[in-house]
Amino acid sequence: MLSRVADSIFWMARYMERTNGTLRILRTNYISSQDEVKDFSWLPLLSTYSDVSPEEKKAIGNYSPKVLEHLLLDRTNGASVFNNITHARENARAVQDHITKEVWQCLNDYYHLIRNEKLQTQIIYGDPVSAVDSLIDHGMLYHGTVDITMARGEAFNYLNIGKFLERGILSADMLHIKLTELNYSLHQVVDVPALRYLLYSLSGYELYLKSHRGSFQADYVLEQIIYNENFPHSISYCLKQLLRYFERLENESLPESYKQLEFLIGRTMNNVKYSNIRLSDSQGLKNFLQQTRQELFGIAAALNQYYFGNS
Amino acid sequence: MEGHSLLANYHEQPRVWDEMFSNGGIRPNYQNFVSAIQNLSAEEMTHKDELAKKLFMSQGITFTVYSSGEGIEKIFPFDIIPRILEAAEWQHIEAGIKQRLKALNIFLKDIYNQQFIIKDGLIPAKLIYSCSNFVRQMVNVNVPFDIYTHISGIDLIRDFDGTYYVLEDNLRTPSGVSYMLENRSITYRIFPDLLPKNNVRSVKDYPDLLLKNLVSLANRQKSDPTVVLLTPGIYNSAYFEHTTLARLMGIELVEGSDLVVDNHRVYMKTTTGLKQVDVIYRRVDDDFIDPLVFRPDSMLGVPGIYGAYRTGHVAIVNAMGNGVADDKAVYSYVPAMIRYYLNEEPILKNVPTYQLGEPENKKHVFENMDKMVIKKTNESGGYGMLIGSAATEKQIDEFKKAIEEDPRSFIAQPIISLSSAPCYINGVLQPRRVDLRPYALYGPDGIDIVPGGLTRVALKEGSLVVNSSQGGGSKDTWVLG
Repeated sequence: MLSRVADSIFWMARYMERTNGTLRILRTNYISSQDEVKDFSWLPLLSTYSDVSPEEKKAIGNYSPKVLEHLLLDRTNGASVFNNITHARENARAVQDHITKEVWQCLNDYYHLIRNEKLQTQIIYGDPVSAVDSLIDHGMLYHGTVDITMARGEAFNYLNIGKFLERGILSADMLHIKLTELNYSLHQVVDVPALRYLLYSLSGYELYLKSHRGSFQADYVLEQIIYNENFPHSISYCLKQLLRYFERLENESLPESYKQLEFLIGRTMNNVKYSNIRLSDSQGLKNFLQQTRQELFGIAAALNQYYFGNS
Repeated sequence: MEGHSLLANYHEQPRVWDEMFSNGGIRPNYQNFVSAIQNLSAEEMTHKDELAKKLFMSQGITFTVYSSGEGIEKIFPFDIIPRILEAAEWQHIEAGIKQRLKALNIFLKDIYNQQFIIKDGLIPAKLIYSCSNFVRQMVNVNVPFDIYTHISGIDLIRDFDGTYYVLEDNLRTPSGVSYMLENRSITYRIFPDLLPKNNVRSVKDYPDLLLKNLVSLANRQKSDPTVVLLTPGIYNSAYFEHTTLARLMGIELVEGSDLVVDNHRVYMKTTTGLKQVDVIYRRVDDDFIDPLVFRPDSMLGVPGIYGAYRTGHVAIVNAMGNGVADDKAVYSYVPAMIRYYLNEEPILKNVPTYQLGEPENKKHVFENMDKMVIKKTNESGGYGMLIGSAATEKQIDEFKKAIEEDPRSFIAQPIISLSSAPCYINGVLQPRRVDLRPYALYGPDGIDIVPGGLTRVALKEGSLVVNSSQGGGSKDTWVLG
């Protein structure tokens, strides 16, 4: 496979995963901003998903519809959902002969959906939740289309590598955002709505309730998001899947490239697996999340160098 | 025709050949089709029209116009009423194109090698050497199987008496063939059953024929040579076509930056290292293909690719330097080429062409500007053109001035009226002018032309310009079996 093609497929998957993550976190944050949370602030989210100046962030930060419009539709915001979808589609356009026609059409429809005036009006003047829901639904359609139509070959492996790498980064990021809101001082709090909303954003609330009925504790939440191997958004699960799809590339790799990447992925997995998280040690927790993020970025950089030919 | 609301308001134009009607009656080739649609209500027809637009949009059969940093998707306008050709008509066209291509291909071989046609005094040497598309680097280069014009899209038009004329040969990188294929797949959807009932010949073999020809050009003794399609990239207006063709042939779509040349061999950069490329179907123009030999500022090409081509390590389709045969002044010699190289009479007519380099021609043309089309010899796509009957005094004067300065770069042709075909526009059937571009594939086994082609339509009322860049659209083209 051409290096450029692998690169584009990888990024197409990352943009789509990022789109899904952003949409879900926006949905739960919007609902929580309308709900019981007092002094709700959009600033932590804006600092991650917007590239405008701090003054501008402050200016719109207390006005939910404006924030949503900015994070969803603003073309000048490089991290907006609109731009994510556009980038995913541009990447798909460049590799149309390596993805199925169905996947391409699905992404193309997604692009036309977010450009749809009715949807944009719904976000700005109507009920943003139903607009976001229709966007999330279309994202699900994409995943199903990929699963049902794509051949289990190189392209499919790069798609999944991009997807799980991005998902791991997103989970680490979202955890970091929420813990920053709580100043990383978890040993004092028992039940905070912020953590419940975090689980909602990661589609993990139901799983939590089933595994820990009747007791809501911060350490259980952390454990689920970092270690639970049955939770599809946990960092451990993402790394395991990442390795699984990467190993399938062995026959289509140069041996030295393969070795490099295998080492980096394995090291990250072990660092996560043998980490020791204590709620009382907020600095340690912070460092752990930082380090995991850095290592995930390191994997992306190594792929870029050894597989996509961009040094 | 009373009672058929769809056809009732259709008016033929005087001194224009209509593809569907003659003297108020329906031509035999259209009779089946008309009887199937004439009783459809306006709502049904409009529904079909909207369905076609929706299908084009959702399948991404679009070209992108970039303005203010954001791509805007446009569909190439499609008219739902097909253009229908009878079997005998098609045979005539097919034979004519084959004859023409044979002669043009020998001409290219000759002009870049011995130049008998110049030595025998048929074409003035001055005309060839003054042509900006004569590529000196191609002189004495051996091309595989002596084929230069692997893919061509010949533009045909019809005068008021129905005679076919060749307007352009398009021997460089003709585009539009994907629309021929897509238009057909949309017609299947909006007119169920009509294609088999009319015994319409299929166009779907095109990608297979093209791939067969490409594979046969490979130089290495290998069972599956590497064939790639070189595109300028996603910002090119024909990018959709490049991906469609690559997908239909199952070959790799590459950009210039995916290829490198080492020791006169071309390689593509893959996730497992470099892989040698044997055949390149390029959709990048001559000027841009190799910055070391042609335009040094080109970012679309591959440095060193010309050297690899010249040494025979890679085959490039179409050959470089074909532009000399596309030159509109050289065009006027094609009938002479057919007689000279093949000893045959031309089957398809040329539009009479005045080279303005000749003083008498220029005088005659200047006196009859209102009856002439003036064209720049090296432009295409409907640019650099003046239609005398529709131009203002000022435009005519500007062209006259430009011609006086550089007469070699202009030719004049009498205005050919172009035939009309019915189009469904704003809920009414209306006549619009059309041309026809069949696509011919020239391989080691001979010339193949899939029965059909792209019928381009001038959608503006009364307009004679069918180019998509100038408000043109297209129709599905049926050749009856």
